Amino acid sequence: MKFYRSRNHEIPALNTASLPDLIFSILFFFMLVVHMRKATVHVKYQVPMATELSRLYNKSNIQYIYVGRPINNLGKVEGNEMVVQLNNNITTVPEIKRYLIQLSAALPPEQRKQLSVSIKADRHADMGTIMDIKQALREANVLNVNFSATMSRNNKQK
Amino acid sequence: MMFRKKERRKVPGLNTTSTADISFMLLILFLVASSMDLDKGVSRRLAAIDKTKTPPAAVDSKRVIRIVINAENQVTLDGKPASMNEIKQRTMQLVESAGKGHLIQLQSDRNASYDTYLHVQNQLVAAYNTIRNQKSMNLFGKEFDLCSNEQQTQIADEVPIRITEVYVASNNNDVKKGDTK
Repeated sequence: MKFYRSRNHEIPALNTASLPDLIFSILFFFMLVVHMRKATVHVKYQVPMATELSRLYNKSNIQYIYVGRPINNLGKVEGNEMVVQLNNNITTVPEIKRYLIQLSAALPPEQRKQLSVSIKADRHADMGTIMDIKQALREANVLNVNFSATMSRNNKQK
Repeated sequence: MMFRKKERRKVPGLNTTSTADISFMLLILFLVASSMDLDKGVSRRLAAIDKTKTPPAAVDSKRVIRIVINAENQVTLDGKPASMNEIKQRTMQLVESAGKGHLIQLQSDRNASYDTYLHVQNQLVAAYNTIRNQKSMNLFGKEFDLCSNEQQTQIADEVPIRITEVYVASNNNDVKKGDTK
């Protein structure tokens, strides 16, 4: 009589049948949370911190202006002076004004009022550039501005 | 003798080992092609440029606060250096005492940093938001953001945001005034 059977020492394979489901759920989470990049950003910027933030609604009528130092294709900072980027490419302030005037002329009046600009400027940008942009926006009669900023959790400013 | 075996065909299970890899691919694609930064910021409304150069209405000097940011990023309030908290407190005092007639002048040097400017703007917006919230709490029992559209316009009418910003042009020294509503 045999008390001990010959034991099978093989470890059973891990069941990975639910792995795809797991990853799919992560995928869906990301698809919901994240939004697609619309423009390639050619400048490096770090937005300042603020506390009184409001969200941008009506994404279709927003133009983006970036202010920061230029970067090359590899993402390295190339210059030291601030440049201005409108939507997808680097431009100048008078160019922005011309573009916005053209844009608002093409829109129907009710959408023209909703046209707004999100300024994503580096925190070390000088006010001269910002002022020029603001003046250009006023001249182009695009008056809704959102100065992009991140939430500062601690309120210790000075 | 049996020629045919009993036919019982089993459909083989689909091999799904690579589904995980495929979904990983999709996941990585989304991670690369998207950004997580939320579009949040300090919303302001610029003043329209008046074509009919109306002379600015005379405002009592008691109802005006003048904030200046100089090239060294120092903030002065009516000529005296002020901290961010003081700006908020003074703005709140002014708006509460002077009501609709108040005016805040904000002037910034062209060499000042955007960071300082936005902090000042932030404090001003914070002051207005606090007062508007108080008002809507008293009137409607809820915060300004939760009020209906008509209620918001009513409060915005009682507590208007009156900030003028001085635009300093780069080459010539002409100074234009812009009302920010």
